[in-house]
Amino acid sequence: MSRRFDIHYVLDFIPKLLAYLNITLLIVGSSIALGLLIGLLVALPRLYNVPGLQRLSRIYVSFFRGTPILIQLFLVYYGLPEILGWLHIDVSRIAVLYFVILTYALNSGAFISEMIRAAVEAVDKGQVEAAQSIGMSGYQTFRRIILPQALGISVPLFGNLVIGNLKDTSLAFTLGVMEMTGRSQTLGTATQHFIETYIALSLIYFVISVLLERAFVWLERYLNQYAGKEQTSRQQRMAKRWQARLIPISDRGGKQG
Amino acid sequence: MSFDPSFMWTAFLSLFKALPTTLFITIISVAAGLVIGTIVALARLYRIPVLSQLASAYVTFVRGTPMLMHLLLIYFGLPIIIDGIAGLVGSSFTSASIPLLAFACIAFSITAGAYMSEVVRAGILAVDKGQIEAAHAVGMTTPQALRRIVFPQALAVSLPNLSNSVIGMLHGSTLAYTISVIEINAQAQIVAADNWKYFEAYLAAALLFWGLTVLIERMSGWLEYRLNRFQRGGAA
Repeated sequence: MSRRFDIHYVLDFIPKLLAYLNITLLIVGSSIALGLLIGLLVALPRLYNVPGLQRLSRIYVSFFRGTPILIQLFLVYYGLPEILGWLHIDVSRIAVLYFVILTYALNSGAFISEMIRAAVEAVDKGQVEAAQSIGMSGYQTFRRIILPQALGISVPLFGNLVIGNLKDTSLAFTLGVMEMTGRSQTLGTATQHFIETYIALSLIYFVISVLLERAFVWLERYLNQYAGKEQTSRQQRMAKRWQARLIPISDRGGKQG
Repeated sequence: MSFDPSFMWTAFLSLFKALPTTLFITIISVAAGLVIGTIVALARLYRIPVLSQLASAYVTFVRGTPMLMHLLLIYFGLPIIIDGIAGLVGSSFTSASIPLLAFACIAFSITAGAYMSEVVRAGILAVDKGQIEAAHAVGMTTPQALRRIVFPQALAVSLPNLSNSVIGMLHGSTLAYTISVIEINAQAQIVAADNWKYFEAYLAAALLFWGLTVLIERMSGWLEYRLNRFQRGGAA
């Protein structure tokens, strides 16, 4: 099946794979940026209990969290042109990379909307009341009181999402996008040294994940520098536990242990 | 080529043929992952020398790399190791006789083990230290205390995380198609290519996964309610 293991190939492949790191990071960066926008739009109806839209955003989140990303990739790739075809919009000339970015954005959007909700809900209700009692408007309360605290709370969740997104980009090769994993496939086929390419690729993913994790830990410390230690960890625990309740199709109220 | 809703039913029926494979991979990897995860979590919690460092390295590596890498590393790496050993021992066993499904199960068990260890660890840490001290005080040994006192409570606490991991493994099982295991995703591809109806086939697959996910969610919710029944009400 493949030739004898040769460690030199691992070292040889790393720079070759790194040449495609920019595509991987482009997918991660643009889909997370777009996902933040989608996530905010999806979270708002549920934060403010907007009747019809709330239901829609629930179904959206449930669907994208309830189906594998791989299926979503194929679904968007094959389904979007068809749906747009009904509206007589031709997208057959658009590069597959954009379909991939859109899929990851839609997927991240669902998770990010849950993250936003978890973070906002984790901010103490008394904070809002206190802000209103000293005469702040709704927007001021959000901007000055909720947002800074929610940001600090959401950083670990966000970090996990970004790292998860990075790892998911390894699936983009299934649609033929030439990112790092796609390149590793061609390298493996060309040299018949598959195991070496995958070791090299794993090392790259690993290093980027660790770097990202470090960066988010630093960011978390920076954003929470004014918050009491105990308070922050309590809120983060709350947010995390809250977020662990995936797919809130039904409100499972009154289930606190 | 136009959208054909009736084909979705055909696709559904065909996908059901692959459902057992998907469930098999998921259940095996979750079960093995729980065993690995518990061992790893205990090794780290009790700071067993060497083992705990190895466990940390394992968890960090697996969590830092995509699941696809684990699958491909096992798929391409394990045969080299097995054939190497078989060659040394002089056994006639070759890696070619191992079914593809086994590679998927082994790889995903390794993935699940690392994620499960975090679930188990968080669950055990969530149980009050006083509980294990009380168990020791009435004369239980540590294994007894863990099994009778800590684990039941930890399970109740960690159910939401656990069901998330199960769902993650269910979704991850779609990767098995890259090593030609015919699970739901691969079956969708086959049906789609045979009839040239890609959108319908993947939509059916997505709906199937969605249904399974909601089912797991509901079950975990019900189980959580059951397990926490003795914790509620009164002077807690």
